[in-house]
Amino acid sequence: MVKTNKEKLLKVAVIGEITHSAVGPSYLTKWDQTPVLGLGRGGIVYNVRVGDPCFGWVQGEKVEPGVSADGIGNDREKGAFRNLSCIGNRVKVLKEEAKGDWGTVVGKVGYLPGRNHHVVIDFEEETLAKLAIGDKVQIKVYGAGLEMTDYPGVRVMSCSPRILEGIGIEEKGRKLVIPVAKVVPAEYVGQGAGGSPPEASNWDIQTQSPDAVEYVKSLRFGDLVVLEDILSAWGRGYYEGAVTVGVVSCGPSCSLGQGIGVTSLLTGKEGEIEAKIDSEANLKNLIEQGGSE
Amino acid sequence: MMLETNKDKLLKIAVMGEIVSPSSMGYRVQWDGKPKLALGMAGIKYNLRVGDSCFGWASGDHVEPGVTIRGKEKPSPSECALALLACIGNEATVVSGDAKGEKGVFTGRHAGSDDLVWFPPETIEKLTIGDKVQIKSYGVGLKIKGFEDIRVNKCDPRLLDSLGIEVKDGKLVVPITAEIPGFLMGSGIGSSTVLETVDYDIQTTDPKAIKKYGLEKLRLGDIVCLKDQLCVNGRGYYNGAVTIGVIVHGMSDYAGHGPGVNPILSTKDGKVETKIDNEANIALYLGLRDKL
Repeated sequence: MVKTNKEKLLKVAVIGEITHSAVGPSYLTKWDQTPVLGLGRGGIVYNVRVGDPCFGWVQGEKVEPGVSADGIGNDREKGAFRNLSCIGNRVKVLKEEAKGDWGTVVGKVGYLPGRNHHVVIDFEEETLAKLAIGDKVQIKVYGAGLEMTDYPGVRVMSCSPRILEGIGIEEKGRKLVIPVAKVVPAEYVGQGAGGSPPEASNWDIQTQSPDAVEYVKSLRFGDLVVLEDILSAWGRGYYEGAVTVGVVSCGPSCSLGQGIGVTSLLTGKEGEIEAKIDSEANLKNLIEQGGSE
Repeated sequence: MMLETNKDKLLKIAVMGEIVSPSSMGYRVQWDGKPKLALGMAGIKYNLRVGDSCFGWASGDHVEPGVTIRGKEKPSPSECALALLACIGNEATVVSGDAKGEKGVFTGRHAGSDDLVWFPPETIEKLTIGDKVQIKSYGVGLKIKGFEDIRVNKCDPRLLDSLGIEVKDGKLVVPITAEIPGFLMGSGIGSSTVLETVDYDIQTTDPKAIKKYGLEKLRLGDIVCLKDQLCVNGRGYYNGAVTIGVIVHGMSDYAGHGPGVNPILSTKDGKVETKIDNEANIALYLGLRDKL
């Protein structure tokens, strides 16, 4: 097991509420200049969950699996919800019909209209049936500040200790070998560049050019991927030789420069991280379903 | 040669902006985790002109040449008519203050700070933050006859005519100062499907990449080629596409940012080729400088 500082991490509560489906007031213009309605961002998506394919949803646009919540209150309070929540953190429904049910954070998505942001949460089907838009959820944040103590050059972000320990990292010499479903070259990586901090929001794998679509067509929500030559340390940008490991958190897009969302989990620029292809490298096998905490 | 266009059918419309004050967000974290107090965006820059280097300005980040104005008729400058309709090469006129009546030229749009105007040095000395500047917008809808598939953006017909484009084997050959690999394109990529109002950045996060791709030679106003980048509505990767653009602002130390580009020509259909010409800069094309 990779050594970490997890005993010293603060556990903190942040609060948010389930968003409404984020469909624009008019048609979207696709990259090929045809119109589309574009649905599946935000709110409650009943029939798409972690482990399902990213492609193929009719008129789908950046589909987020399951439930999407955003922080409430002032900008600082919203910032806490967006920046501190970690993949793998447990989420409790606070009120209404599903009160007391638990889910798990599986993604973080930005670049929404009005500078909004979504934390994507997986709930069991029986909980989904009870949830309503506007329901309050509380995340027990655990993971902000996580470090691998033997690898000070690697930044860990938005990653709970449970996920870091569960993704099957092997130490080989001074390198971390990480199983991922796909290694994505920088030329396919688009929106997300320039964004900061990398704890919030996401990278996009661009899905307009036919070669890019062919390359990523098998991706599923929750897949772990490597973005090559991409650094997500203090902001997001191109850096030759750097590696970002992330999790697929939303589906493809029809807009140029946008596409499959990837939430950054680990990044290093000195060759500390190596990828090992494993088609089963998906959050589905790592998240806790339902239950209490 | 002169390309045949529909310029006689383009509407000329007045749009207005005001010179804005620089605004500081305090220290912000660079790509390497160090803090930086950046300057060079917005306001009046007395000693930074189109044609100057994108690099090397002390504490400079996203430096914008000349004068920065902003539309005021809507809460967001990006929704103002100035942002959408002004084209590079358009005539600007100061319409208030001590420099009233003096002329300048629109030189591009930086989505982070807004619309950029060149004025002669003697005019700049008379300008005050808050002065109003009117642009004779002309160029929206511009098309090149025989090359209708090429998306023309934010380009005054005068600029198009001055680019030194040749037609060879059914393709346009455009002089450029540098060819930029598409994977270097960063901030602004994917943002908004409106092409006119947003620039996007050649990333200067990686010091190795700055050297390897010769980015330190880039100047404000340079005409560059973005490989495998399509800018029709929105901007992003498309294998084989070519985009020609104008550098509107300088380098950045923030991750994913760098010199900003306003696309002026873009196609995925192989109709644009390029040739290197170190003088391919709007400062010369639009008569803003005698030499670089």
